Amino acid sequence: MVKFLQFTLIRAVMSVVTLLIVSLVVFSLMELVPGNCAERYIAFKNTQGQVITIEDIQAEERRLGLDKPFMIRAGTWAGNVFFKGEFGDSCILRLNINHLLSDKVWISLGICLAALFLSYLIAIPIGIYSATTRNPVANNSVRFISYLGLALPSFLLALMIMLTTTVLFGESMAGLFSKEYRDAAWSVAKFMNFMSRAWLPIFILGWAATAFALQTIRALMLDEIGKLYVTAATARGISGRTLLWRYPARHSLGPVINSLGFDLNRIFNDLPVVALIMTLTEMGALLIDALAFSNDQQLAGAILVILTACIVLVNFITDIILALMDPRVRLGLIG
Amino acid sequence: MAFLSRLNPTVTDQTIKEAYFTASQAQLVRARFKSNRAAVVAGWVLTLMILIGFFSEFFSPYAPTMAGRDKQYENGPPQIPKFWDENGFSLQPFIYGTKRERSIKTNFRWVITVDREDRRFVRFFVKDWEYSYIDWKWDLPGENFDANLKALTFNTHLFGVDKGGVHLFGTDASGKDIYSRTLRAIFTSLKCGALGVFIAFVLALIIGGISGYYGGWIDSTLQMITDAIRTVPPLPLFMALAAFLPQEWSAEAVFFVISSILGLIGWPTLARRIRTHLLSERSQEYVLAAELCGASSSHIIRRHLLPSFTSYIIVDLMITFPYMVRLETALSFIGLGLIDPVSSLGSLMQNVSKADILLNYQWYFIPVLFFIAFVLAFVFVGDGLRDAADPYSDVKK
Repeated sequence: MVKFLQFTLIRAVMSVVTLLIVSLVVFSLMELVPGNCAERYIAFKNTQGQVITIEDIQAEERRLGLDKPFMIRAGTWAGNVFFKGEFGDSCILRLNINHLLSDKVWISLGICLAALFLSYLIAIPIGIYSATTRNPVANNSVRFISYLGLALPSFLLALMIMLTTTVLFGESMAGLFSKEYRDAAWSVAKFMNFMSRAWLPIFILGWAATAFALQTIRALMLDEIGKLYVTAATARGISGRTLLWRYPARHSLGPVINSLGFDLNRIFNDLPVVALIMTLTEMGALLIDALAFSNDQQLAGAILVILTACIVLVNFITDIILALMDPRVRLGLIG
Repeated sequence: MAFLSRLNPTVTDQTIKEAYFTASQAQLVRARFKSNRAAVVAGWVLTLMILIGFFSEFFSPYAPTMAGRDKQYENGPPQIPKFWDENGFSLQPFIYGTKRERSIKTNFRWVITVDREDRRFVRFFVKDWEYSYIDWKWDLPGENFDANLKALTFNTHLFGVDKGGVHLFGTDASGKDIYSRTLRAIFTSLKCGALGVFIAFVLALIIGGISGYYGGWIDSTLQMITDAIRTVPPLPLFMALAAFLPQEWSAEAVFFVISSILGLIGWPTLARRIRTHLLSERSQEYVLAAELCGASSSHIIRRHLLPSFTSYIIVDLMITFPYMVRLETALSFIGLGLIDPVSSLGSLMQNVSKADILLNYQWYFIPVLFFIAFVLAFVFVGDGLRDAADPYSDVKK
């Protein structure tokens, strides 16, 4: 038990360090953008008819704390993010970022996690089947589909589905809510409306992840099935599904859990592109807005940190689960 | 090379057995690759695409830029050369002439009509616009130092028509030939991916090499940084980096920076693999022997450790390639990467998402098919190579 706590603690510290490095990188990226908040605020005043001078800009910089050295500002920013969960204001939109993101983060995360869940729901049975079957047609088609999942860009799939639904149902599937629910408060009806539309982005985001998961599971199962303990189990008279689930499938589970974080990474990767096509109004769309159109570095930085934090969290949780399942992992880290 | 047909060492024929056991590593890899039919086919497709991409100017009848636009055929559908129609057979392929008109009958919109009486014959090896394989411009500060080197200039193209234009894949909204642009885009994407993979490879080699060879706290620190960068989703990070490019940069500069960013993002996975391999090889006897002979660290890394896994590196690079191309495509699709006047597979797909195009101008989708074929070919070849380079892949099956 002590060892387990020690393990958890080490992993937690490592996660925090990872996040710190990432937030430092993100902050440096934000600093790369030409022009800072002070200039933006003052430039806005300029459009309102005020005459501005260099002194005005410098005064504004002092007020916002922009005249301090880089490391101190980076530290303050990271500190606010870590301890208060505060991302500050976006100087383009003049809004508090937490306020702006609040709902959208949860919607995006919900969609992504659902996509992750869906991809494994499909990949585990099919992957195991294709590893055990001797039917060449089934085998090759599974392989081909999973290759296609790698090659067919998710936005193309999204386009195709959008086109067919528009032609067939006469109503565009774009967006996450129908008109009447867009600005309404959360209610059962709104949730149902959300679910009736969210399956499409969930499916599209899950598509590429499924292909990857399918290949991983197939390869793992093929590796495990050839091993001697499976032969031994067969010799003891265990066969069929019992054999598969009790022996090779259980052993392949570890690496699969381990790869969950990177699958989520992959799904986040597709999020902005899918958001663009389906005209979603969640975090991915905001990221595109912030980067491609308004150059809003604070908002983009906040979204990058949130996405990374989710992956780090998932990695942390999967590490703990792995350690609970497999004593070798626990010992491996502590030594 | 009799053993190429059968690899199984259990075959009875003594000469085959001998050939198998005395074959070099390269021969074995080649033989195993050839036994994978899908990979071989993909390999040929890939070679063909690389060749077409490299000689894209020769294969395309028009310049892929605004210079090659056909003002009389904007948003024109694909023209497929025919040998035969209701007016008889012709040995030389032909297309129909088109007319563009706008009147009260067409509701004052430009409408392209096909004149089936007007045959335009496709000719081969026509002389048209010029292109150079070596075209370097140095725009150094100071007026006297600008240099412009042009060599290997040709003006022969595989095919063309005597009057009007031939557009196999149709044209886009400004009349640019989609076929010519697609060929150019394959080349651009290849170039972009190659540059990205190269930068990623160099970075991975340096960082993974240092980390794996020295171990200890250097290794732990570098691994922590590598892992941190690996957790950031690449596309959003890529978007963030690309968004900071100044708008007024030239297309070449943007292209170069985008490819470099691809490399800057792509190295961690590769670096990790190199490091793991080096860690396990480092304790081998031959490294100790070299150390005792007084070889320097860099000499051991270069001459002894790296050659021990060259094949893995090549395979890894092949596998990384399509992901680089995909990333570039996604970025260009969003509008942050290479944009319209530049032909890349992503910038060609940018237009596809508009509803107008989905419903009216489906030929915009043709480059998408090329993209899918391109990525698939790379994935298949990469997988085939990985299986072939793995000495245990036969035993497993």
